[in-house]
Amino acid sequence: MKKSLVIIMMLMLLSGCIEDNIIDDILMAEAEGYDYIGNNQVIGTITTPNYAQGGVSGSGGGGLPATASMMSSATTVTYDGRSLAENLQPKGQKKIKVGKLRIMLFNEALLKHGFEKTIHFRNQDPEVGRDMYLAMVDGSTKDLLTATYQTAIPISRYVYDLIFQNQQQNFPKNNLSTFLYSYYGRYADPMMPIIKREKDHIVLTGIMFFKHDKYAGRINGQQKAFIFKTLVENFKFGFYDYTFQQNEHAVLENVSSSRQYVVKNGNSATPDIFATIRITGYVRQGSPLLKTKDYNSTIKRGMEKDLEKQIKKMVAGFQKSGIDPIELGQIVRSYTRHFDGASWSDRYPNARFHVKTKINIVETGVSQPR
Amino acid sequence: MFWNKRKNQEMKQDESAAPKTMTDLLLRLKDHPDFSHYRHSRGSFQCWISFFNSLVNVESVHRDVLPFLYDEHVHSLSDIQERIPVEKVEQTTDLKTVQSKLMEGSIIIQEREDSPKCLIVPTVLRESRQVEPPEVETSVFGPKESFVEALDTNISLMRKHIPIPQFTIEQMRIGKISNTRVCIAYIDGVASKENVNTVRQRLQDLELDHLTDTSALSQLVADNSHSPFPQFIDTERPDRTVNALYEGKVAVLVDGSPNALMLPTTIIEFFIAFDDYFISWYIATFTRLLRLFAVAFSVFSSPMYVAVLTYHYQLIPIDLLGSLITSRSVVPFSPMAEALVLELMIELLREAGARLPTKVGQTIGIVGGIVIGTASVQAGLTSNVLLILIGMSALAAFTTPSYRMGTTIRFIRFPFILAAQLWGMLGIALCFAYFVSHLLKQTSLGRPYIEPIYPLRLTDLRDSFIRLPNTSQPERPMLLRPEDAGRFNKKRAKQKVGKQKTDIDE
Repeated sequence: MKKSLVIIMMLMLLSGCIEDNIIDDILMAEAEGYDYIGNNQVIGTITTPNYAQGGVSGSGGGGLPATASMMSSATTVTYDGRSLAENLQPKGQKKIKVGKLRIMLFNEALLKHGFEKTIHFRNQDPEVGRDMYLAMVDGSTKDLLTATYQTAIPISRYVYDLIFQNQQQNFPKNNLSTFLYSYYGRYADPMMPIIKREKDHIVLTGIMFFKHDKYAGRINGQQKAFIFKTLVENFKFGFYDYTFQQNEHAVLENVSSSRQYVVKNGNSATPDIFATIRITGYVRQGSPLLKTKDYNSTIKRGMEKDLEKQIKKMVAGFQKSGIDPIELGQIVRSYTRHFDGASWSDRYPNARFHVKTKINIVETGVSQPR
Repeated sequence: MFWNKRKNQEMKQDESAAPKTMTDLLLRLKDHPDFSHYRHSRGSFQCWISFFNSLVNVESVHRDVLPFLYDEHVHSLSDIQERIPVEKVEQTTDLKTVQSKLMEGSIIIQEREDSPKCLIVPTVLRESRQVEPPEVETSVFGPKESFVEALDTNISLMRKHIPIPQFTIEQMRIGKISNTRVCIAYIDGVASKENVNTVRQRLQDLELDHLTDTSALSQLVADNSHSPFPQFIDTERPDRTVNALYEGKVAVLVDGSPNALMLPTTIIEFFIAFDDYFISWYIATFTRLLRLFAVAFSVFSSPMYVAVLTYHYQLIPIDLLGSLITSRSVVPFSPMAEALVLELMIELLREAGARLPTKVGQTIGIVGGIVIGTASVQAGLTSNVLLILIGMSALAAFTTPSYRMGTTIRFIRFPFILAAQLWGMLGIALCFAYFVSHLLKQTSLGRPYIEPIYPLRLTDLRDSFIRLPNTSQPERPMLLRPEDAGRFNKKRAKQKVGKQKTDIDE
């Protein structure tokens, strides 16, 4: 008993030297930005939220004065694939920790250069959560992270909320976890959203696609994002703007969208992929709609046709550039016995993609069409 | 061993100090101011009467004993014994009996002062508190009686509920000097013989000079008296004791103590308020689960605060970071020091509240709530968030119906806080593992302490941290191994409840 007590005390008291991270004694990097400047060099920027700036609520005037504001952003030049937090440590008033990293931003040049090292390093680090967002920035990330905006909340939260709420709507779900899945997974290519600074705003402009770890193309606007999203996941919310005549629009608000794939001849040179997309939604916008009484022919059929056309065009584009963000390869593999994976990359561009959309308009608002 | 030898010698000396003859005894008692010893004579008959004024009901002595000594037919002690209308009058020459009876309040009548032959007339003064509503274990519903200090009153409180001859009460005396009356109560044919024998053996083997209360006794007869967890429940409610007896438990009562001990006990019973049996089963289940949550919250909230704020900042939701950091940024201490300061404050408040007279007690609330709580935050000694956590956990600890278990819960969070500071969450997990293994090994009267959970006994789970309706509990707890396992016939109970049918006019 005594012996075990001594051993326990030794274990406790001699090993109690692990590094602590008391929350108000560390700087939590919440956003990292990487700007590639050529020659394997990047400009790295981190931002940390500044909690004590607004004074301490509830301290009621007594006690210590509110701590003065702390560093909110720092920049350094380093080589590609290096931890920014470590590299910026000399600039840190307190320890810089990356455990609460929310967003990682990259400029187009870095993605064109290839960011294998960066993503590999991020994957290795156990301290960072997998629910953070990756995004490409049109322009300089340093510029985006250090600019002032209309909102006073920290830039990391701003971008995080922006991406989060848009992924509830028209943009497909994408975070570090899903990114790494398609990055390391076979027959799939990752993607990430594109953001852009517009004076004192940040805008989500589109989605960019990778061919393995390199930039391979992009789509712009939430219309295209909606079309893309119908192909990659079942989802609720989001909307699709349909122009059925010149200057006459109908906006389909999605209640639920589901996709279904069937694959035939998966191992042939030209596999047949049949996609069925069912969308249930309502139309509440568009006074021109009220002039037509026949939804089925004008709006519903028109919308279905339009969507089919757009989807085919988009998939053809992917096939042409040899990228597979929809993960069609995975779908074909799952439908095909003894799937021939080695030749898939050659067969993918020749695959025949058939799509059928079925739209169900459940309501058109409170007023009746005249 | 030589020290044992010396001890034994000391004990022997004690024995030799006891009076050897009746004269010796009387000589020793003579100087006590409350001791009456005088000669009575009527005609040819004379006798010596001795008693303690303070122990004897003087009124009844004058009314029921002394007049009969003037009876003309009285010529010897046997004549007195025949005539006195008092029960259990006995004649003896045993000095020890005479001494102990005298000290308990009997009257001793001798024919000659130096004669060892005595008549003992019991006229014990029974002066004790009235039966009052329970103060510690208050309840909203149910009987409002509580035990008092007099053992006989307590037994009568229980007998009223168990009107059968099988309700057995065994009396024994404990304490070398005090000779305190201790009673074991159980229902013969329900309580397990093994349990009764264990209790009896443990009480008989006790080695002590005096005994004042059941709570002291509970520590003396506990399986592991070094454990922070109490192993027997002591209750001041007769209804609860009786309920335990009907389940097949054994109760121990001590003269002079307003509590009964119920043996054996599982840890879960400490979280059962007796009220639970008087409200519908799902509400009772809800309150029991609430208490279970309260215990977990009370033990883990401040250690978790320490661990998370010191080591695991990654776990804090991003929206909470702001309020945590701003409230902590003025605090000069580490989270552990801060938590210890506040815990200490609450402990002090609790202790001061328990020691102060009730009239002054209200001040404690004001001092504690307003002065210390708010001021410590404003002075920058603790953070707001921690104040809420500690306040809530203190509140949660007091939802435990047993005050004894409540203090245990308040105590065991200190090792948790220390472990959290040393190793973070890992430390909490290790500390938790330590306590779990301690509880797994713990026994109460040789029965497993955390019984319905480990070993798993599904029938006993029905009245643990959930309570199923009475009709679905036809068996007595398996833990107690009762002689008669069934409470009632389950089939008949179900039949009588029957299916609910709507009335024709509904």
